[in-house]
Amino acid sequence: MLGNLFAGFYQFADVFAFLVLSAAGLAIIFGMMGVINMAHGEFVMCGVYVTAASYHAGLPLPLAQACGTAVAFLIGMVLEAVVIRPLYTRPLDSLLVTWGLSLVVTQGTLVLVGSTFPGIGTPLGGFRVGDYTFSAYRMVLFAAAIGVLGFVWFLFLRTRFGIQARAVMQNPGMAQALGVRRNRVYALSFGVGAGLAGFCGALYAPTMSLIPTMGSSFIVESFVTVVVGGSSVLLGTAPAAVALAVIRTGLNAWYGQIIGQIGLLVAVILIIRVLPDGFTGWLTRRTA
Amino acid sequence: MLKLLEGPQTMGRGPAFWGAAGVVLLAALAYPMFADPYDVGNFGYFFVWIFMALGLCMMWGLCGMLSFGQTFFFGLAGYGYGVIAIDLGNGPLGTMAGLVGGLVLAAVAAAVLGYFMIYGRINGVFFGIVTLSVTLALAYFLGQTAGPEWAIGKARLNGFNGMQGMDPLTFPGPDGGIVLEETLFYYVLILGLAVAYLLLRMLANSRFGNVLVAIREDAERAELLGYDVRRYQLAVFVLGSTLAGLSGVLYTSWGQFITPSSIGLPAASMPIIWVAFSGRTDLTATLVGTFLLLLGFQSLTIYSQETALVLMGALLMATVLFVPRGFVLGIGDLLARLAMRRRREPRPAAAAEV
Amino acid sequence: MNRRDLLLGTAGASLAAALPRTGQAADPPIKIGLLEDISGDLASIGLPKLHGTQMAVDEVNATGGILGRKLELIHLDPQGDNARYQEFTRRLLQRDKVDVLIGGITSASREAVRPIVGRQNAFYIYTNQYEGGVCDANMLSVGAVPEQQLSTLLPWMVERFGKRVYTVAADYNFGHLSSAWGKSIMKPLGVEFVGEEFIPLGVSQFAQTIQNIQRAKPDWLYMLDVGAAQSSFYEQKNAAGVRLPMASPVKIMLGFEHKRFPAGVMKDMYAAANWFEELDTPEAKAFVARWRAKYPDEVYINDMGYNAWVAIMLYKQLAEKAKSTKLADLRGAMADGTLGVDAPEGRIVIDPKSQHCSHRMRLISVDGENKIKIEKDFGDIQPFWLSQVGCNLLQSNPREQYTPDNLPRR
Repeated sequence: MLGNLFAGFYQFADVFAFLVLSAAGLAIIFGMMGVINMAHGEFVMCGVYVTAASYHAGLPLPLAQACGTAVAFLIGMVLEAVVIRPLYTRPLDSLLVTWGLSLVVTQGTLVLVGSTFPGIGTPLGGFRVGDYTFSAYRMVLFAAAIGVLGFVWFLFLRTRFGIQARAVMQNPGMAQALGVRRNRVYALSFGVGAGLAGFCGALYAPTMSLIPTMGSSFIVESFVTVVVGGSSVLLGTAPAAVALAVIRTGLNAWYGQIIGQIGLLVAVILIIRVLPDGFTGWLTRRTA
Repeated sequence: MLKLLEGPQTMGRGPAFWGAAGVVLLAALAYPMFADPYDVGNFGYFFVWIFMALGLCMMWGLCGMLSFGQTFFFGLAGYGYGVIAIDLGNGPLGTMAGLVGGLVLAAVAAAVLGYFMIYGRINGVFFGIVTLSVTLALAYFLGQTAGPEWAIGKARLNGFNGMQGMDPLTFPGPDGGIVLEETLFYYVLILGLAVAYLLLRMLANSRFGNVLVAIREDAERAELLGYDVRRYQLAVFVLGSTLAGLSGVLYTSWGQFITPSSIGLPAASMPIIWVAFSGRTDLTATLVGTFLLLLGFQSLTIYSQETALVLMGALLMATVLFVPRGFVLGIGDLLARLAMRRRREPRPAAAAEV
Repeated sequence: MNRRDLLLGTAGASLAAALPRTGQAADPPIKIGLLEDISGDLASIGLPKLHGTQMAVDEVNATGGILGRKLELIHLDPQGDNARYQEFTRRLLQRDKVDVLIGGITSASREAVRPIVGRQNAFYIYTNQYEGGVCDANMLSVGAVPEQQLSTLLPWMVERFGKRVYTVAADYNFGHLSSAWGKSIMKPLGVEFVGEEFIPLGVSQFAQTIQNIQRAKPDWLYMLDVGAAQSSFYEQKNAAGVRLPMASPVKIMLGFEHKRFPAGVMKDMYAAANWFEELDTPEAKAFVARWRAKYPDEVYINDMGYNAWVAIMLYKQLAEKAKSTKLADLRGAMADGTLGVDAPEGRIVIDPKSQHCSHRMRLISVDGENKIKIEKDFGDIQPFWLSQVGCNLLQSNPREQYTPDNLPRR
């Protein structure tokens, strides 16, 4: 009995962690900044590859994961300045440019690094509850998902940078007139979004097989979660992830993975139909 | 009627433009006489996709509705064509019924889905995500139809490996009909494209087209002016989706094969790439740009091996950053500016600014 | 390069020089059209296939080509896209007018190619192991099929590990068909299928599946997953402490997971293979040495890459016996059922009724240190299933793919 209850929670936690971690970065870049980032999966992949490379170079895993996150953050800052900045007034064009970027990055990685990359191996081993054994690392992922939500809450609601960032997203002209350095805020926000995507990759690096196109397995879930959520990471993405995780876990358990996947998409359609503005009640037309 | 061929919603006017268009059409008609039959067939294959691009140009470029789900209708019509053709025993009867049936299926599906979304006030990015979700759901569903229980009559859907066994489109005629392939396929598609292009041009410059642009610019204002915005949106959604369905039927007929991967990602993003690259607000730009992009991507893939995707990506990025209005529209603007400088005439109102 | 290769190489060269030239120098080359993915999701298995073909073409050319004509390889990269497979099949057949078309990875890509090959009445060689059943006179299949991989492996697994089986399959034709094959082979043995799950392509998270497996308590797992995303299953299963023997027709010799994953993850995976790089016969070692000399960075010489090499060698035998590259003549050359090549695995012979190949099958396993062990040598296994159910290409050409639940009408 206890085993079954815990198993249910574990399955939910697992899907929830996957949705939150893969969507958090996108919630900032797409949800808040309005950049349709088709290269989101490639930021994740960047986190994975840097983590794996540093780990094979001899760094302990947590440090390697920090490296993966940091590199994704820096790359995000640079890309924002070079590629994204001219496109804030043309959100649909950001779709094209990031799609191009995603092609360049995946295939470039394949040409430069090779078609496969040696894996890491999941740390921490397993534990037993009732009849089932579970991977302890999956609980770390769940904790990390909660941690990411806490970090985003702190960053955007409790720091000076967060207030400036929200001001710029609301009304860039006014914020600038009040002395906020707009470009710096954009670059940092984009960097944080990319860094969170990289963090997701760093966390999942030990649990997956590594190929250049692996980012694509994150992209549908992350977009779906962000859109259902709306613009706010805390008020939107978190409840969206809970709702979608419950739906998906239930369908997976009772009807198998196929119905789980189709059901997730149908749920998205219905949720958008019922709550046209997503969970946040968002969408005063984006001005950025 | 004919004067609607020129107007504020389409680029190009006057004898110079139509002369050039005529020359291009004549050259295209003469092309098979001196070209390799393979290249003729290959160009014909490119034309298959342009219908879908033109449809997206109407709904996204003119009316501002970004559908991420054109391959949904593409696939529905393609599979519909296959099922009907196979079950009616192929031949002229089966394939012609398949053509009509596929288009009707796409149109009806678009009407139902469009009603659900448009009258549910889903718009903006949400419109894109809902259409994409429907598309992916169809692709997943068709992907798991590998078993023998998934058959409609004699036609097995056959899962991810795809459906086959349908004949190419066949016109009634002697000896079991005239099969639409190779050079004939090319000619029929050229004519079809020319007709579709001219009709859409007239539609864009008609009252209907002007209302669409008004909706794109400010839906609320258009509504306050007394237009039933949702009816117009639904109409253009059905029109664009039926054109996507036409592409689906033609593609299935061309290769006698269709699979779920023609529907899901990344196939679903391709029409958006073509139209955005070309300049989404203009039909001419979409027509020319889609063709050039298809040709360019295929050539890159043939001649540059594993760097092809890197070059394609870089090309897209450069286009967006340096030619913001789209590749073909950018060139069109340049030509218009040159002409204006020479003639010292006021600049013709090309496509409306976005 | 070792001495043996050097000797072989010089012997070949001098032989070519000594032979009377049967064809003039101006003889046009024999064109080989090749479609292999070197971009996209499947690049990791497409690359060894390209290398195998290139190596075979170079080796054939070094010994004088076929019928005195050099081979010219034209490779295009369809990037894992079915539509590109269709475009490029037409291009190679109509524009480049290749004598033979080779390639394709997924079954979907093969099915995309076949209608076009059929309409052009061309000759096509498919070099992958696959779910079997294609009865098409325009196609020669070089890879192993279920009666070679599964009829050997599965009964052995049942005997060794027990009768409770859990199937994890890709929701894809290969997965469904191989699962059906498993049932038809193992039901008569009294096997109880305690679970069966189909996973959509691209899914990478498996917590639910792992829990279902624990609930069902199988003796071993029948793994039919496809693609890199799905192979994350093994790492996640291991981390959750599920340690069961596994059997699969596509792991190890094809996906070389033992070279990509940390030690322990693939422990107790069993597979039946016609080729794996660790095969320790002298012929196999010489083959590996030649390959490694040419492509030192190859992660693993997998069975598809090896089959790609075999395909060219078979084609050489066919064309030389037929003294022609025309389809009808080539089929005539294989009609008596004796034509074959002495390949590194052993002798491979074409069955003219189904146009599939016999293979020497060996059962391999992976230990906790990612080392390969040969458990059993099954000897030569014929591709018998198609002719058993009534496919006879010597009499008719249905161009169909038959399955256990889609048999030809007699």
